[in-house]
Amino acid sequence: MIDVQLFFYFGIFLSIVGSVATAWGPGVKDPVIRIFNTEVASIGVCLVLLCYNHVLALLTLLATSVIMTLILFRTLIRLEEMGVDL
Amino acid sequence: MILVPSHVPEVFVSMYLPAIYAGLIVGFIGSMAIAMRKKEIHILILTDIIGFAMMLIVSAVGTDLAESLILPGLVVELAEIMAISEILLSREMHKIENNPKVNVDKRISLFSLPYNLDMEVMTTAPNFIALVLIAYGLFLTGFTGGAVAGCGVVLYLVSRKARGLAIFTFEGLSGVSGIAWCFWIVGFALFFLLPEYWLVSLLLAACGLLLKVASKIGLVGVLMREDMNKE
Repeated sequence: MIDVQLFFYFGIFLSIVGSVATAWGPGVKDPVIRIFNTEVASIGVCLVLLCYNHVLALLTLLATSVIMTLILFRTLIRLEEMGVDL
Repeated sequence: MILVPSHVPEVFVSMYLPAIYAGLIVGFIGSMAIAMRKKEIHILILTDIIGFAMMLIVSAVGTDLAESLILPGLVVELAEIMAISEILLSREMHKIENNPKVNVDKRISLFSLPYNLDMEVMTTAPNFIALVLIAYGLFLTGFTGGAVAGCGVVLYLVSRKARGLAIFTFEGLSGVSGIAWCFWIVGFALFFLLPEYWLVSLLLAACGLLLKVASKIGLVGVLMREDMNKE
């Protein structure tokens, strides 16, 4: 049987690595890559919430992270259409 | 000294410190990165990371209290990012309008591409599916029920059945949401003032939350419909 602690520490590891990748990772000059890197940290937080049995919080986090990605991409596309230097 | 209630499992107690430290580390990384960037869009993306730090720290409590604190935190974070992105867009728009050399079209929409939902199922099925979803949402009550019923409302609104909804309906939906909020607060207060009527207050809170979430999702549907049937 796999231990709960394994998932917990893997979740913590993923969220820290994901946030480092979002902050200083390779290619983050491009905002699109930065948005994708936040998803790694999001999956880490999802694993932590899963270990704590927070089902509703987990589902809401999944839903809001999808909506947030949509909003950020929309902002990005509009800014690029306006010709703003990103 | 740390006071731990007896109903918190031993596993969660042992996970408390690592989760707190992880939250602090993630928050520190996020704030450092925000301090070092200058472009607004990058800062907007990095606020996501701060939100994750908040969630890690709150979830370390490990009881139902944590769950009930994470939900509003997530929703507030979403609203915040929406508002800041709007401000960012309107500021750039303002800059461009003041600069006569550039010419850009002025419409802002949820989807920046034309998005036409021209499917047969959107004209034949929505009545029935929306009815089933709303009935099931009413049966569920509470937050989940509100989300399900709201999906029904959105489905009904984006289909072509309900075009040309008056501005009165729009304001009425916001009014319903306000009244539902009052229901919720009254239910919450009754829990503490008159604990023997707990069933009444539970139902008040659940139905209030149902109306609130459903009407808010319905409003999103009204806003989306303006963009949906654009060529």
